[in-house]
Amino acid sequence: MTIFSKRRLAVAAALSTALLAASACSGGGDDKGGQAASTELTVMAPLFGTAPDPNGELQQAVEKLIGKKLQITWVPNAEYGDKSNVTLASDKIPDVMVVNEKGPSFVKAAEAGAFWDLTGKLDKYENLKPANEQTAKNTQTNGKTYGIYRVRPLLRSGIVIRKDWLAKLGLKEPQSVEDLYTIAKAFADKDPDGNGKKDTYGLIIPKWPGNYASASPYDVIETWFGAPNGWGERDGKLVPGFDTPEFLAANQWLRKWVKEGLVNPDFATLDSANWNDPFVQGKGGMIIDVNVRATQLLDLFKEKNPKDFDKVTLVGNLKGPDGEKHSYPFTGYNMVMAISKQHVRTEEQLNQVLETLNKLESKEGSILLTNGIEGRNFKADGKYAVPINQDDPKVKAIQNDVDKAFIQLGTRASVGLGAYALRPNDEASRKMREKFDVLMNEDLKTAVFNPALSIIAPTSVAKGQTLDTIIPDARIKYLSGAITEDQLKAQIKRWYDSGGTDIVKEVNDLAAKAGG
Amino acid sequence: MATDLVPEVVQPAADSSRPASAPRRRRRTKSLGRDLWRYRWLYLLLLPGLVYFVVFKYLPMYGLTIAFKDYVPFLGYSGSEWVGLKHFQELFTGPDFGRLMFNTLLLAVLTIVFVFPAPIVVALLLNELRINVLKRSVQSLVYIPHFLSWTIVASLTYLLFSVDFGVIANWIHGLVGGQKTDYVAQADWFRPLIVLQLLWKQTGWGTIIYLAALAGVDSQLYEAARVDGAGRWRQFWHITLPAIRPTIVVMAILTSGHLMDSGFEQIWLMTTSLNRDVADVFDTFVYYIGITQGSFSYATAVGLFKGLIGVVLIFGSNFLAKRMGQRGLF
Repeated sequence: MTIFSKRRLAVAAALSTALLAASACSGGGDDKGGQAASTELTVMAPLFGTAPDPNGELQQAVEKLIGKKLQITWVPNAEYGDKSNVTLASDKIPDVMVVNEKGPSFVKAAEAGAFWDLTGKLDKYENLKPANEQTAKNTQTNGKTYGIYRVRPLLRSGIVIRKDWLAKLGLKEPQSVEDLYTIAKAFADKDPDGNGKKDTYGLIIPKWPGNYASASPYDVIETWFGAPNGWGERDGKLVPGFDTPEFLAANQWLRKWVKEGLVNPDFATLDSANWNDPFVQGKGGMIIDVNVRATQLLDLFKEKNPKDFDKVTLVGNLKGPDGEKHSYPFTGYNMVMAISKQHVRTEEQLNQVLETLNKLESKEGSILLTNGIEGRNFKADGKYAVPINQDDPKVKAIQNDVDKAFIQLGTRASVGLGAYALRPNDEASRKMREKFDVLMNEDLKTAVFNPALSIIAPTSVAKGQTLDTIIPDARIKYLSGAITEDQLKAQIKRWYDSGGTDIVKEVNDLAAKAGG
Repeated sequence: MATDLVPEVVQPAADSSRPASAPRRRRRTKSLGRDLWRYRWLYLLLLPGLVYFVVFKYLPMYGLTIAFKDYVPFLGYSGSEWVGLKHFQELFTGPDFGRLMFNTLLLAVLTIVFVFPAPIVVALLLNELRINVLKRSVQSLVYIPHFLSWTIVASLTYLLFSVDFGVIANWIHGLVGGQKTDYVAQADWFRPLIVLQLLWKQTGWGTIIYLAALAGVDSQLYEAARVDGAGRWRQFWHITLPAIRPTIVVMAILTSGHLMDSGFEQIWLMTTSLNRDVADVFDTFVYYIGITQGSFSYATAVGLFKGLIGVVLIFGSNFLAKRMGQRGLF
């Protein structure tokens, strides 16, 4: 009996081991990579709506153009950062990945050799070589190019203001930060909505999801005051922007706003997804953000009441207290398309992939990605694209695939810079769109660029979790009145003590090396 | 052999879940095999559960090795470099450790003091209710919040307590006057809000287990006590409370294992720039450094440390319970 049961046990053990082995194997079972790469391209990209049908008309058109099957993993934009970190840790890195090339996990992976170093490799491809020197420099990571940047307008910052409130109170559009204060004060105190109650405020700020120097309203205002954009040169050395007198001056000024009730009281907690609400509801009259918010708000007002088509105006960057204008530029791109080495192993295979991408980003490719299929969902009218056949559900699907998904694959033409610009719905929107370019070109003359954008200090990768929140948190606490100016300075010192000192040294060393 | 069989068969069937406890030690191997065979169908029933634990709980523990490595996903588990206790050193000497430990422990203490007894109190109160319909409907109503996700609870909190449009916030402001308080953003209000949320969401659900224990109390005991002249309070003190004491002890031991789990979703959703100093706990920290920053090794080290404390707490409270003359969990 004993022997018998032992044998049983052995069988059971063997069985369960086999079972385990089988389940363990299934995890790494799809290593078909190498050969498949030549006919198929796997891609990961952000998604802003429902995922396109892989057999949809648009994807087929794109596949026909590039001559390869596409396997695209669409990831909702809200969780794109987390999902790409997890993907980077898996054994399923796609061939082409839209990725934040400055993110710590990407930098670590790239430095370990998980992605192709594309430095100097893009110039021979007509549609992949960088169109703008400044932007190309911005996308580098310590002198190396790891991806093809997805173009965005170089300057998008602006102030959206209630036009009718300005008119009612007899105010002019602001030129300087003093003007802005006057307007905010009037919006808060002089009853711009005429309901007899003091229930409005000037500026609307949301809970900002990003870190320091991430194009928040605070960063923009600090730049107006003359503070560096992220990093700046002081006495021949690069210093972080928050360690300058201008940073303090800007925040002292803004703290006064908060104290006087010129800012929405829930500025530390308002969800940035609901940023438009107080504006449309008539609670607040100003938003400092990207210019496209102006057209969004125009549309929202019109949706509520068709007569309200002209309630919004847009103003560019402002003159600081010293009378000089400093404008907050954007980086000119939003994430890059990097090529992983997981399946693309040889230079030859890499060239194939680049060749494919070159086709994807050609003139025809850009039109497909940013406008759709000509004659199906739009027709070209000069420089504008005019939507057609939008009642047909099939055409609607194409339009949706373009706007919510495929536009994210464009690198030469993309969001805000379509191959054809969308023809505006009405006169107000058209004028607003034209204003974008005028303001951008005007403000670019005074743009303050971040000289350290392409530099990644090793310490900031290693200790980001401790350091990244110190400054933005301290700034909000100071503005809300929770801490004093001395305590704010103590927090800046804490940043230095927790590893910031090393970061400053590394940034300066790396910048000296990069500058040659 | 045949003689051996007799006492075994007499053993109550209820004990068959632990057949391995053979009576005599030196015969252990022999009778283990026999027991395995005898209760083969029960073991077969056990198998899926066992496989589940091995596959999903024990095998992944291999990944814990990255706590002692500088893990780079591209290089894999085996390719990454061993660094010994570097990450633990970094954690214990780093600037965050004290704050994380304090916040986590304080939340744990608050949970024990306010949240743990709440279901017991509510269950006892419900038990005293005479009208059955009322008792049942109250019972159902209070455990509904358990089914709402933390995202909804957090949104509700924002809606009710926001400084701009919060209903309760405005109501309190109307009563107390003075300056408006920003409950959701201010650091001072973070812990009270967390405890309130926990109470609201979990109390009702927690009562179920105690009510079940209370339902099991023999009503003859109460009748006898009443005959002896015991009042309501005496009955409660000498019958009801002793009846549910084992349940309370078991729940306490189980809870102690989770003391270091502050509830990631809840904390994460309630964190703002203004309250981060008091809101940062180990759970959110692991998320920040692991998923957001991609420092997988460091995050694993922190998580492992947290898990070890949980194990110590479970064994500790089990030991204490036994010391105090209660039946422990194991």
